[in-house]
Amino acid sequence: MNAYAYLVAFLLAVITDLLVDNVVLSRFYGICSFIGVGDQVKSASSMGFAVTIVIILSSAICWPIYYFILVPAGLPFMDTLVYILVIASLVQAVGLFIKKNSPALYKSLGIYLPLITTNCAVLGVAQSNTDSGLLAGQTLAENFGFSMASAIGTSLGYLLIIVVFACIRTRLETYSVPKAFKGIPIALITAAIMALALVGLAGLGS
Amino acid sequence: MSQLGYLLIAVGVILVLLAIFFVTFVLYRKTPVPKGCEKLPSAESCSKCGLGEGCALNIYAKKEDPKK
Repeated sequence: MNAYAYLVAFLLAVITDLLVDNVVLSRFYGICSFIGVGDQVKSASSMGFAVTIVIILSSAICWPIYYFILVPAGLPFMDTLVYILVIASLVQAVGLFIKKNSPALYKSLGIYLPLITTNCAVLGVAQSNTDSGLLAGQTLAENFGFSMASAIGTSLGYLLIIVVFACIRTRLETYSVPKAFKGIPIALITAAIMALALVGLAGLGS
Repeated sequence: MSQLGYLLIAVGVILVLLAIFFVTFVLYRKTPVPKGCEKLPSAESCSKCGLGEGCALNIYAKKEDPKK
């Protein structure tokens, strides 16, 4: 694959995971934090940025461990256990760094920082990057590039959707919503309409 | 390299990851909380699903009336 074709394929992979195959609204990962944190723009953006960093770093670490250590050792079935260890260590390390060097960011993230460990979007991305395996004629370097494209697209997709959802819910607070729809029902209807909007982009990445 | 060699490396990597997790966990706990962040809700109060009462993630949980 030449450099231009690779760059185009890389960008298409990012856009596909960002919009068409969105992690929250198409694959239903990270719904807990999406509903729980998506009521304030500041909390949502803080959570989104933290998850973005952890998804990209964990994907960059998990992929080489799988292909260069677990597969040659005949232990590919241990992938989930190893990924959980990587993600938990990474979240602790990032948390430690923020706690020591950036009190403002620590205060802004608050409880959400350790809870990234339990965000299934992080594990889901690392798992799906290695589950797909090598395509015919694809080198390991190309596969790693596409895995990183998937990680970048997925994490930015999470950030985009959670922030947009928080903005919509902030505006909904000022509208007179029927009593039966207040709270979670109207939030779920909003999420459904957002998912329908993304369905309209299907075919963009093909 | 033989498969046994790779197996030993894999076991070593898992042990290293475990060690990193415990070291970072202990360091995170030992690091003093920055000023102004002492009263943040703790992660232990989370029910993971975000639907339990007393969870900071749950915006619909019953909140204490400040007048009482």
